[in-house]
This record gives sequence, structure tokens and C-alpha cells, in this order.
Amino acid sequence: MNWKIVLVVIVSVLLLAACSSRARPSAREAAPQPTPAQVATPLPTATTPSESRVSDGKASGQRTEGGTLVRLWNDPPTMDPHLTTDATSAAIIVEVFGGLVTIDPNLNIVPDLAESWDNPDGKTYIFHLRKDAKFHNGKPVTAQDFKWSLERAANPVTAAPIVDQYLGDIVGVKERIKGDANEIKGVRVIDDHTLQITIDAPKSYFLAKLTYPTAFVLDRQNVESSRRWFREPNGTGPFKLAEYVPGERLVLNRNESYHLGPPHLDKVNFILSGGTAMLMYENDEIHLTGVGLADLDLVLDPTNPLNAELNKAPPAFSTDYIGMNVNEPPFDDLKVRQALNFAIDKQAISRDVLAGLVIPAKGILPPKFPGYNPNLEGYTYDPEKARRLLRESKYGENLANFPTIILTTSGSFGSSVGLDMEVILEMWRQNLGIEVEIQQTEFATYLQDLVKRRFQMFEIGWIADYPDPENYLDLLFHSKSTNNHTGYSNQEVDQLLEKARVETQETVRYELYHKAEEIILADAPWVPLWYSGEQYVLVKPYVRDYFLTQLIIPKLRFVYMIEK
Amino acid sequence: MAAKQERAIFKSEAGGNSLWSQSLRRLLRKKVGMACLVVIVIFYLGGILAPWVTPYDYNEQNLSGAKQGPSLSHPFGTDRLGRDILTRIIFGLRTTVIITVASIVTGGLFLGIGLGLISGYFGKLIDSVIMRVGEIFLAFPDILLVILIAATLRPRVVEWVRGFEAATGIEGIVRLGIVDYVVVFGALAAFSWVGMARLVRGQVLYVRQSQYIEAAQVLGASTRRILLVHVFPNVLSPVIVLVSMGMASAAGAEIVLSWLGIGIQPPTPSLGVMIFENGSLSVLRTDPHLLLFPVGTISVLIFAFNLLGDALNDAFNPRAR
Amino acid sequence: MWVYIVRRLIWTPILLLAVSFITFSLGRFGPGDPVQILMGQYSNPEAVERIRHQMGLDKPVLVQYGIYLKNTFRGDLGESYRYRGRDVGELISERIWVSAQLGMAAIFISLALGIPLGFFAALKQGTWLDTLTVSVTLVFVSVPVFLTAPGLLIIFSLWLDILPTHGWGGFFDTRIIMPALVLGVPGVAGLTRLTRASTLEVLTQDYVRTARAKGLRDLVINHRHILRNALIPIFTIVGLSLAGLVSGAFITEGIFGIPGIGRLAIESFFSRDYPVIMALGLIIAAAFVLANLIVDIGYRFIDPRIRY
Repeated sequence: MNWKIVLVVIVSVLLLAACSSRARPSAREAAPQPTPAQVATPLPTATTPSESRVSDGKASGQRTEGGTLVRLWNDPPTMDPHLTTDATSAAIIVEVFGGLVTIDPNLNIVPDLAESWDNPDGKTYIFHLRKDAKFHNGKPVTAQDFKWSLERAANPVTAAPIVDQYLGDIVGVKERIKGDANEIKGVRVIDDHTLQITIDAPKSYFLAKLTYPTAFVLDRQNVESSRRWFREPNGTGPFKLAEYVPGERLVLNRNESYHLGPPHLDKVNFILSGGTAMLMYENDEIHLTGVGLADLDLVLDPTNPLNAELNKAPPAFSTDYIGMNVNEPPFDDLKVRQALNFAIDKQAISRDVLAGLVIPAKGILPPKFPGYNPNLEGYTYDPEKARRLLRESKYGENLANFPTIILTTSGSFGSSVGLDMEVILEMWRQNLGIEVEIQQTEFATYLQDLVKRRFQMFEIGWIADYPDPENYLDLLFHSKSTNNHTGYSNQEVDQLLEKARVETQETVRYELYHKAEEIILADAPWVPLWYSGEQYVLVKPYVRDYFLTQLIIPKLRFVYMIEK
Repeated sequence: MAAKQERAIFKSEAGGNSLWSQSLRRLLRKKVGMACLVVIVIFYLGGILAPWVTPYDYNEQNLSGAKQGPSLSHPFGTDRLGRDILTRIIFGLRTTVIITVASIVTGGLFLGIGLGLISGYFGKLIDSVIMRVGEIFLAFPDILLVILIAATLRPRVVEWVRGFEAATGIEGIVRLGIVDYVVVFGALAAFSWVGMARLVRGQVLYVRQSQYIEAAQVLGASTRRILLVHVFPNVLSPVIVLVSMGMASAAGAEIVLSWLGIGIQPPTPSLGVMIFENGSLSVLRTDPHLLLFPVGTISVLIFAFNLLGDALNDAFNPRAR
Repeated sequence: MWVYIVRRLIWTPILLLAVSFITFSLGRFGPGDPVQILMGQYSNPEAVERIRHQMGLDKPVLVQYGIYLKNTFRGDLGESYRYRGRDVGELISERIWVSAQLGMAAIFISLALGIPLGFFAALKQGTWLDTLTVSVTLVFVSVPVFLTAPGLLIIFSLWLDILPTHGWGGFFDTRIIMPALVLGVPGVAGLTRLTRASTLEVLTQDYVRTARAKGLRDLVINHRHILRNALIPIFTIVGLSLAGLVSGAFITEGIFGIPGIGRLAIESFFSRDYPVIMALGLIIAAAFVLANLIVDIGYRFIDPRIRY
């Protein structure tokens, strides 16, 4: 037996097996998002759907009660509301759990478990809980449950990642988080159905923050019953968790006694094991799916029957941008930053390259977002002006000593550098004569370096978590904010933002934010690119009232089916 | 004196030099092997001469003419930004050339051969130690190391090379991704030597028993001499085969590295990026040319390497036929 | 001989320890912070520090490793950082069986195709059919999965509509066919070669002139002998393939929707889910060690002149 051959074959098979078996995710089905910024989950099939009601359409069948909605989803990293930071988990959690307030499909803050509230002096909120509010097991929800839940969220042992962000305004939370206190002083139980929360300043965005899962109520008995209580959660939401086979499926059942009205559907089935969405949709295995760039041509064709099921949604509350470190050359020169802004034709890119899947961003806040300024001019495409500005900058006419620019982008999970980036680089090269090199970095490293402000120029997106301009402008541009990755600092802006935090009159408040946004844009620490997100969604015609919303809010209870 | 005697004795045996020339002659006669060699050479030349043989600039964007199928002006069609695919593929081949060369030059090969020789010849404790250490590396999840090295070591090396570029005026080293690949394969060398070492060791073990080695020892030839002159050439044949297959997998590895964001950066083309960007059902249905041409190219190349390895194997081991 | 085996087995825990320590250190010293990843787009260095402290990530590396070892010996592999609150052992065992089944199906296909093809090629030795067979098998090795997987989907699910598109139904369900094909066909090349070589060994022992005529008959008579020759390397390949399946079939799993270990492995690497990474590392290492042991023992059987 000539085992030299054997050895060769073995080793070569080894090599081949080792290399051919290397991994990659399935095709990116969503629009080319530069970075899964908010999401801890890699595969972008988890959609951030956008507004518009899916209920028009031809087929007039009989409206039915019941039915099961099926969709593709990713395995949620957690089912504990206080630990939720990503979109994949949040979308399911908002259906199973609830809090004091929630957001309706029109993005208003409306009552959930609290049927009304008073706010006498801006700092004190008195919530009146519904008398008929119950957990899934029938136990009534009381103010004590809320106090316990908030304290559990702020308990250092719970290790909730973003509790500082969402509950930090409440008096006493900071101490609790540090472990210096056993309770939160600012949360008081007045009686079984009355809860008082005191915050440190009259911040009008506080209520919006309460809509996020960190502030949801949990049943103490349920949580303390076992380490894995979240497998059998006792929530307050429109759906109950019926079945959860990790990696395979997650099934929600209707909660008959939901206080805001029970859902129409019987069940919702989330398929977690993966698959090719378009194919599954065409085979009627799932009822809805986002349509990515690759499939768009197919679906936009009017002769394709799928075209009738296509829904276009307004842009999500997410802004993709290029950030520049304003303390590092060449970006320490304002004119350079402005020149870069003027030298890109965003309309052309959005239309020709991204097939209209994104809306060019004029400013920072996306359309329909509270505080959005429709009169904002932003930077138009003006290569002449751009060149002039560049000449006026400290680098002068022939760009002497213009340093190399490296644009870092997150490059793993198989997300290649977006096509839009390549076009932008080319536009800068042609219009300004500036060479920019792209450097991809693996996501975890990217995040770490971003936080440490190591990048000269970077590309990322920011997704709004609650509908208030503070979530954007304050967090990203206040000089003391830890999320300010560009190092931007402008005293006037800081003052405007600080005033807006505590301004109670909404119109005045938004005026302040408008002003701040204008100044920020003029200072150009960013090149705002797109309001991105899923624009196209296919929904089966017999599925009605599936709202495509810009934020993650509970909405499955409105969905109903009609007879095919 | 001993050397001359050795040479006299061994020349007539089917070992050492005559094995070589016989094998080479056999290889040259095999049509298949030669065809593969020709294909590989053509691809490599294309890659190296890319700036001169391509019809367009690889970054010539034409947004309105995007995603066109094959035509006279664009034999392979255009991509999503209207760039000529044929041009990008040829430049992509340049990257492949770099990466395959990097995989050899960075020493996993030499390390493997060296350690294999030592391990097989001296046996006992040294052998055990080397093999056991090798097992550790083999069992290790190397993706982690690649990510780590790419994140920590690479930026510093890149800075250093940029400094070098500025000082000497040579441009584009970093841009070609050479630094990335050298760093990555250098790191992987710590792991890739194992396969080669085991193979070589096996060969050595086999050859060691042979009579002419015993004879050389009896004649008093030094260990080093024995290793270099007698053992090494016999070992070389499967090694060459393995190298050929290894180049194939290095070419395939480019896809993985691109996925990790390591290596050539856009807008410089790379076959790996073209493949995994378009490797989906949707693309196959709507614009198959976006996927088929790059996949076809890399497949042909890998296939040629594999088939060449096969042919080499047959040439060196006629008993197998 | 047995002494040798025992010696190797004693070595195994040492190896596992070495691998786990290296993996551990690389993870901890490397860039990337699992807590920062959990926080998503928010940066808050204070909160990160706090949570790292809560998770014990701010202790010295050696201390952390010690704690890890202690827990592992007690059978507690820890909780995943990414899938909060879920046991690592549970996470893995849910999926590894699925991947193993897929792997076995793939290997089965490789064997079922490779061995007969090897026989065939040996019988037709020297003819164009021989070259063709070998070449065709090599083609399938060379084409990346990016083409084969969607290609199969298009053919069997879209056009012919005879196979379901996704999901997992166990070993005997039709849904295993396409992914197993994608994973198994590349392995056919090696097996074909092996079988072919082994067959030829036996066949060429006969008189050359009657080789062709006797070919088939000798094949039948000696098939056991042939297979036995090829068995050890086949065994090795099987063993090593199983080991390689851990981070292996990621893409295939993604496209076909298989809840296997591939996706978990890659996700855990990228989100620095240390507990999962460590556990997977151990499993890979153990599989390799086993496979290696088999190979080395096999050499001994093949050629008794080899002394260790």
C-alpha cells in the first residue's frame, strides 16, 4: 500500500476541508447598511420596518379572527427586557412585556399599563395604573411591581448594559447602580395603583425613555423562581410566549385578556433557523419579508406578480454618516470638512446605486422624527464650491502636505464595504483630487477603537431608540457626551442642548434643537449620508394592518388576516 | 572521499538525481499536467501585468451603465457601479498572485519541512515533542488568531510600511494588501507548518528504513549530509504536490480573509469580495454574470492547481499508476 | 503498542489544557470587548467598567483562567455573554447534534460516491474515462460554496420544486439532501483517489496482460482487501472532517436554514462570547486529538517497520 499517496491525500483533504469549510453569512438581504450599529446580532435579516399601513389592496375577502403569522427572524440574544439592547430581541420583547407607557403606530406616547399620569412640576410624574392590568398568569399588576422592576433593572448584579442611559434621570438610580443603595429613592409607591417617579430635572424626553424595555415591569415571583425564568416569562404584553426552541422557532400566543384589546391573530411564528427569505416568501412559507438590493430588480418589475405585494415604507429613524475626528488633520480645518460635504452627489448615488432604498440625508434628524426641520437646507451637490473651499483651507491651492486620509469601516460578518462608499470616494477623488483609503476592521475591534476615538474618519449609522431629538443631537454632539465620537465641541451648541433638555414647551424646545442642528451642520463634523433602513417590504395580500414603523413598537396585535 | 564513494554508489539506484529527471520527463509528457501549468501561468501573468493588459481602469464608474450583461465593449459585463468586470477580474487575479506567493514566502512551508525532517530523522523525544506541539496548534481555532493578529499587529506593521513608503517613495505597497497578507500568513505559519511537517516526517520515517541510508551511515556520512542529500530529495516530491494544493487553498482563503475585512481594500478589486458579495440566490436569478465570472475564474485556477498536483503526484509516484 | 496508546492518552488532557489556555489568553488580550458589543451603539465607559467588573472580566487573566478551570471541572461551562442567561453547554448541545448529523450525511454521500467512482476509475485505468472521472471530482472541489448552494436551491427548489427550501427535519428528512450534497461532494475527490489507488495496488499484482480482463473479477474477489487498505485513511478523513465541521458549514447552514453549530461558532468569535469560544475550542481540540491518535495507530498497522 503506497501510503505516500495516502498521506498526500489526507493532508490535502485536510487543507481543502479546512479552507472550503470556512464560514460566511448568507446574502445580505436588507439594504446595504454600512454598520449594524445598534444591533448586537450580526445577520441583518432582522428588519427595522418603517411606517405605513399595509391594508390597502385588492382582494376583499372576509375578515377573519385568528390565524398564524409566520416570519423569518434571528435568534434573540435575550428575552429579558432589562438586558435588551438590540433590535432582534426588542421586537419580540415589546410584544410579550409592557411598561407604563408605549408608542402607537403614529409615534405618539400613549398609555400602556398606566392609564393616565400627572406631571405637576416637570420633575414629578404620578402614574395611575390601570385597575384591570394583569400579568399573563392573571396576577394583577401593582405599583410595587413597578418599583421592584425598576430597582431590579438598576441592580448592579443584573448587569443591565444601558440602564444608565434609560433610567439614569430618575433620582436615586445612580446610587443604586453603583451598589450604594438598596432602593431607588425617586420611585415611590403611593398606593397599589399609584406610582410616583421623580427625576432630576424637568426633562420632557423622560417619558419617551420609559417606552424602552429597560423600564418594563416584571413579575418578581416569576423572575426569582429560577435562573431561566425568561423561558416562561410572565409578561403583560399582547402576546404570551408559547414556545421557544432556540435556533429553531419562537411562537407567541394571543393574550386574551390584554388590557388594550386582544390581538386578532392566534399565533405568531418566528422561524429562527434561517433560510433564504425570498424563496420562502415565494413558497408561501413566510408572510412577509424585507427586500434587499439584490432582489429589488426582480420585484420592481411590473410584470412580476410579486410587484403587487410590494410596500414602500418611509425611511427608518436611522442616519448613516461619515464622522470625522475634528481634532486630527486635515479635519481640524472647517473648510476641509465642508468641502467634503459639498463634493458628493447623494441624489445620484441613492437613485442609481442604491435603487432608492435610502433617502439622502440633508440633516441629522430623519423625516417625521420629532424635531425634524423640513426647511433645513443642508449641503447641496456643488463641486465648484467644494473646490473653492478646499483652496481656501490651510492646504491651499495645490494641496501641499495634505495628509493621507483613512476611512475606517466595520468589515466583518460578511458585510463588504458599501457600494455607496466606493462611489463617494471616487467623487472625492474626481471633484477634489483627494485620495481616501478605506480600511475595514472587524466589528468588535471597530467598536472598541471607535469608543476610544482612534479613527481619523469613520463610517457608521445611528439608530434612534425613542422619538425625541435628545436621542440624536444631545447624545452625539454635546461635548461631554460619551457617544460623541468625533470630538466635536461647540459651546453654543452645548448651551442650546442643555436648555432644550429642561424646556417644557414643546415648540420652544424644538426651536432650540433646530438651531442646534443648523449650527452642527455648518460646523460639519459629519458628512450625513442617508436615512436608511428597509424601504421595501413584501407582504402577502391576505395579511392586513401590518404597520411598517420606524421604531420598534408593539404592533402585531393590529394584524389580521382575510380569507384568501 | 566518503562523498565520492556515496555518489558513485547511489547514482545507479532509483533515488536521488535520477528520480528527479525521470519524474520531470514524465511530467512533461503528461498533457493534462502541462495544460494546467499553462493555464496557471497565463492567469499569473495576467495578474502581474494587470495594469497593462486591461482595457479599462478598474475604478471607472458609470452609474447609468450598471449591471449590464456581457457585450462587445464589456465582454464580462459591468458591475453595480458600471465598472468593467473583465478588468476587475484581471486585477483580482493580481491579488490572488500576491496571496499565493505570500502563503509560501512567509515560511510555513520552510518551517514545516525543516521540522518534519528533524522530527522524522531523529525520532524519539524530539519527534514526540514536535508532534505534540504540532497537535496543539492543529487543534486551535485559528480564526481567532487571525482576527487578533489582524487587529493588533497589522496596524503597526502598516504604519511602519507607510513610513517606509514615504521615505523611499515607493507607493502602493499597503494598498496592494501585501502587508495584510504577509502578516496573516505569517501568523498562520505558526499553524500551517504542522500539516507539512507530518507529511515530511512520514516520508522521512519511510526513507529512513531504506537501505541506502543505512549504507550512507555505514560509510560515515554526516547526519547533515544524509539529510540534505538523500532524505530531502525524496521528501520533496509529495511536498511539491502539497504546495500545489496549498496554493489552491490559499486562493480560496482569500474569500475568507476578505470577509474578515483583511487584505485588499476597496475599491481595488478582489475576486473574493466579488464572490461573496454576489453569492446569493437573488443574484443568480437577476444578474448571474456578477457571480459567474469571478467564480468561474477562481474555480478554474483552483482546479488547475489541484489537477496539477494530481499530475505531479502521478509523475513522482509511477507505482500508483 | 498499548503502551504507546496509553502514553498518547495521557498526553490528551495536557493538550486540551494548552489549547484552552492559549485560546483564553488570546481572547482576553485581544482587542474587542464583549460588554461593549452588548451595549451596541452606546458608549459609556463607566457602565462598561461596571459590567466588566460584574462579570469578573477585570480580574487578572490568570485568576480568570483559574476560575474557568475550576468551573469546567465541575461541569459548569458558564453562561454565554451574548445569549444572556443561557448555559453554554445547552447552547452547544442544542446545535452540535444537528451539525453532526449533517456532517454524517455529507460523509455518507462522499463515501457513497467516492468509492464506486474510485473502482470505476481504476478499472478504466489509463483511458480517458479515468482522467475524466478524476477531473470531474476535482471540479467539485474547486467551485466555491457560493455557487453550489444557491445553484442547487435554484434547480431543486425553484425550478423543479421537489425539495423544500429550508429547515431541518432530522437525518431522514428530505431537507438534509441539498446541504449534505453541498458539503459532501467536495470530499468525493479525495476518496475517489484513495479507492482508485488502493484498487490498483491489488489489481496490478496480477499479470499485466490479463489486467483488463481480470480487472472486474479481481475487483469483486478482492474488494474486501481493497477496502481494508483504504479503510484507515478513509477513517482518518472522516474523523478529521467531523472535527472541521464545527466552524465549517456556516454558509451552508445560513442558506439552508439549519440550526447548527457553524453559525454559533462564527457569531461567538465576532461577539467575543468567551465562554462559548472556549467550549467550542475544547470540542475541536478533542476531536482532533482523537483523529490524530487514530491516524498514528493506523500507520503502525500499515507498516510495522515504523517504530515509535
